[in-house]
Amino acid sequence: MAWVKNRVLLVLVGAGAAAAAGLPFLTHAPNRLVLGTGISLAATIASSAEAARAWALATIAAPALLLAASVFVRPGRAAHLGVIVCATVLLTGFVSLAGIHAAQLASIANELAPKANPDIARTSFGGAFWIVAVLSWLTASDAIARLGLKPVSRLLATAAVVAPVLICLAAGWLDQLSLLKEYAHRADAFSTALRQHAEIVVASVVPSLVIGVPLGIASTRDNRWMNALRTPLFAGLNVVQTIPSIALFALLLAPLALLAAHVPMLGRLGIKGVGLAPAVIALTLYALLPIVRSTAAGIRQVPRPVVDAATGMGMSPRQVFWKVEAPLAFPVFAAGLRVATVQTIGMAVVAALIGAGGLGAIVFQGLLGGALDLVLLGVLPVVAMALVVDAVLATLASSIGVR
Amino acid sequence: MTKLITRRWLIGGTLMMTMSMMLASAPAFAQSPVRVSSKIDTEGSLLGNMIIEVLRANGIATENKLQLGTTKIVRAAIIAGEIDIYPEYTGNGAFFFSDEKNPAWKNAAAGYALVKKLDAEKNHLEWLTPAPADNTWAIAVRKDVAQKNHLRSLADLAKWLAAGGKFKLAASAEFIERSDALPAFEKAYGFKLSDSQLLTLAGGDTTVTIKAAAQQTSGVNAAMAYGTDGALAALGLVVLDDPKGIQPVYAPAPLVREATLAQYPRIKGLLNPVFRTLDGPTLRELNGKIAVDGEDAGRVAHDYLKAKGFIK
Repeated sequence: MAWVKNRVLLVLVGAGAAAAAGLPFLTHAPNRLVLGTGISLAATIASSAEAARAWALATIAAPALLLAASVFVRPGRAAHLGVIVCATVLLTGFVSLAGIHAAQLASIANELAPKANPDIARTSFGGAFWIVAVLSWLTASDAIARLGLKPVSRLLATAAVVAPVLICLAAGWLDQLSLLKEYAHRADAFSTALRQHAEIVVASVVPSLVIGVPLGIASTRDNRWMNALRTPLFAGLNVVQTIPSIALFALLLAPLALLAAHVPMLGRLGIKGVGLAPAVIALTLYALLPIVRSTAAGIRQVPRPVVDAATGMGMSPRQVFWKVEAPLAFPVFAAGLRVATVQTIGMAVVAALIGAGGLGAIVFQGLLGGALDLVLLGVLPVVAMALVVDAVLATLASSIGVR
Repeated sequence: MTKLITRRWLIGGTLMMTMSMMLASAPAFAQSPVRVSSKIDTEGSLLGNMIIEVLRANGIATENKLQLGTTKIVRAAIIAGEIDIYPEYTGNGAFFFSDEKNPAWKNAAAGYALVKKLDAEKNHLEWLTPAPADNTWAIAVRKDVAQKNHLRSLADLAKWLAAGGKFKLAASAEFIERSDALPAFEKAYGFKLSDSQLLTLAGGDTTVTIKAAAQQTSGVNAAMAYGTDGALAALGLVVLDDPKGIQPVYAPAPLVREATLAQYPRIKGLLNPVFRTLDGPTLRELNGKIAVDGEDAGRVAHDYLKAKGFIK
């Protein structure tokens, strides 16, 4: 296989083509509860209007063929840029075609049965859409990584890949899709949920930093107290990590309710049995392990000779910490912070079950009501939030890195 | 160095404690808004939104705490005084007060009177007028099966099963095993479902069971449902009547803290006429608009109240 120059791209393109051919591109259902019937990509393009068909050929067929051709081109700067552009166009083409076809189906339904409520029928994404969308994203990310850009440039390039999709969203091309219809029916609740989710995450990560970083630093110090406490500390944190999140929320409900009943002042401060308090306490405990471990690991991997040299140069212990240990330990600590934050964003979804709100409220409404697109409406922002925060923290970490 | 940190922390900590104590001892404001809550299901959001709309239209400030969580969470919240009012079912009194064997729960009026008395005595909670609906466990069959075999009630079902009718029920494990659920129906109407006539599902989500019957998954043609489920009509299922009254009656009614009612006595007069119009078919239709059509619960509540003339 000497003529295949880019094996990763070959796998991605092959998988994408298989999905596009074998799985449905869209599903159309008479209402939001029943499963829809699948519509393949070929059927979608065939039944589209002239303009939509031309658009599909330009934004889907052309980039797909170019990507397939790129498998045989020697990887170079130009080839990678070409792959990024093709993948972006393909992703945008898929998303916009879905939106255009959904609008077409909605207008047909309106013509056929104008008295019935046309809003009921739902057009959702099918398996082929998800697989090709994820693969295009992976293709673009792979090419961006191969370009070897600086951290901030890498972040901007990744943002540029999703920008056209966001423009389609803002322009309203996707409004007839089931996901957007669910959003339209509860836009206020969605904004509130998004805000609450962000609040839960910040309210959990900040205290875990405040508690975890000093704890991690202290655990690396060689004194009688720490030598005795180090093992129980990490053992305790490990045990907390293994408790399933919903179980920990439930376990905290009773003691907090008891506490709130006996100390009314806590109630007025907002610490009650249900709501934010048990969620934040549990999420802080979960975030402690990655932060404490990464802080301790970061400091411990600072080479002993460097610390000795600094002490030898006459620096006080405080100066040694701030000028030598902290900067060298920062990359490892930053990795732990990324893990803790992404983990908290995901776990905060379950907090909705105990009245803390957040995007989990939308997820559970969808689960309990049997509307899977409502579940997606809650899950996609969580995933997006986690990806964005992860990318931003990674960029910050690389930029602030030791010079 | 360590001493300096300790002293700074002591001073800072004391300042924070004093400030928070001062804030916490601020006098409670005179007219606090009514915190309206609900359970995290379709009917809860419908009734909760109706309560908010009616109160707001009549000049009472409300705070939206709808879709808070499951029954346990919301009940704990109102007892702790964290919410002021939410729609609850009269039949749930059997579980709140561990009184499942009491036959009073099977009668709408007796059950309501009993739970009203118990909650007023023990928790200082007041039950307002219930809706004339029954959101209890029921068995729903596909409309085509019901029409072909003239099935209107569970008695008809028992006769049809004895004559060899093809029947498969999708239900939760709890419904199949709990002695006051399916076994109670079987004993009262004289039929017994074999294992091949049952499809056991893990959770109690009636939307899943209704969907299974509508799509005839694994040969299912009947589903466990709740009396006022919105998806029933839309997915072509009909509820079989329970003429012998086996199940407790679960009538939705606003449950409000006595303290809040003392502050706003108008709430009673405003909500009672509204709930009195919510019978089974009405609730089913409204729930259907939210669950099947995907309309916003607040919008559905608003349109209904406006159509009935309760709000402008």
